[in-house]
Amino acid sequence: MTKDKDAHYNLAPKRKADFHTPPNHLKMKVGYGGLSENILEKAQALLENNTADFRPLGEMYLESMMRGVAAVKALPEGKTNDERLISAILFPTMQLKANGGMFHYSLVTQISDRLIQFLEVVDEVDQEAIEIIMAFHTTVRAILLGQIRGDGGQRGKDLLNALIDACYRYFEKYPEKKPR
Amino acid sequence: MTYKFDKVRILVVEDNVPMLEICKSLLLTFGVGEVLSAKNGEDGYQVFRKENPDMVIADWMMHPTDGISLTRRIRNDPSSPNPYAPIILMTGFSEKKRVVQARDAGVTEFLVKPFTAKDLYKRIAQIIERPRQFVRSEDFFGPDRRRKADTEFNGPLKRESDAGLAAKQKQRMQSASLHLDKLRDKAGLSKGDKINVTDIDFS
Repeated sequence: MTKDKDAHYNLAPKRKADFHTPPNHLKMKVGYGGLSENILEKAQALLENNTADFRPLGEMYLESMMRGVAAVKALPEGKTNDERLISAILFPTMQLKANGGMFHYSLVTQISDRLIQFLEVVDEVDQEAIEIIMAFHTTVRAILLGQIRGDGGQRGKDLLNALIDACYRYFEKYPEKKPR
Repeated sequence: MTYKFDKVRILVVEDNVPMLEICKSLLLTFGVGEVLSAKNGEDGYQVFRKENPDMVIADWMMHPTDGISLTRRIRNDPSSPNPYAPIILMTGFSEKKRVVQARDAGVTEFLVKPFTAKDLYKRIAQIIERPRQFVRSEDFFGPDRRRKADTEFNGPLKRESDAGLAAKQKQRMQSASLHLDKLRDKAGLSKGDKINVTDIDFS
């Protein structure tokens, strides 16, 4: 079909849009040339050497996650598909993922990232999903208590793989919930 | 010659204090002249109104007002001193639907946490070197959400074309997968086996 005959190209615009190009004040202020490698290295070193303790923050997010789990558990079966309930668990998980790696706990980031992927696709937090969430929760808690910084080496890899396997088993059991 | 950030003022809105401190230190290391700060979207908007900074870097998840609501306010509130202000949204989310959500609120750049110093610098440089034009329609005001012009789909219902294209692509992938399964069956191969041209009977 040619463009002339294709209905798509011949529809009246649904809405009008105006385009503006605001003046680039920032460019006028900063000039040209970018930042030197030296400054970027200095900034990266500052990130890597920060001594802030992530554990109190991590514990706070874990507690918030548990409150979300408790809210889901308190509901009768079949009523646990509310997006807000999933968010009550998802949002603290996202905070763990976001901040763990910023404060030297990259294994917390990797593990929480996996849980986010799981929570983003499940429509309902059933009993088995709660068990998986609890496994993630216990693992992250153990990492914080044991102060396992970085990726945790081979032990960290094994922990992560065990949790990934738990998610796979869940989707094997409930193929209809599998992400497409 | 390098960038001179000494005349630049940046507002960082973040409720996590250690993270706020890290962001401030990074920006000061870059040479930023003044780093303003606020601990949630509500306070952030008040500082933005009063100080009119050159750029805003905000976290997504904050109480009582999050980074998305702050962005909408900066873009649409009649009291906003600069609805065109560049906004970088920091978040742990990286899923496409979240990026789209942020983009639709009027965010200029999306920075996934955890990030490196270079990641932050790249977003700032992108804003300086490749500023986006702004679009005003009935239900949106913010930076143009397209990175580059798509000349193939220039009809009035571009978003619908995108969805149509994705559906067609999915259909093509499914039929290709079915075709592959048939070829495997014919060649007596199982799913993990590699298919050689010699395995296939083309008759």
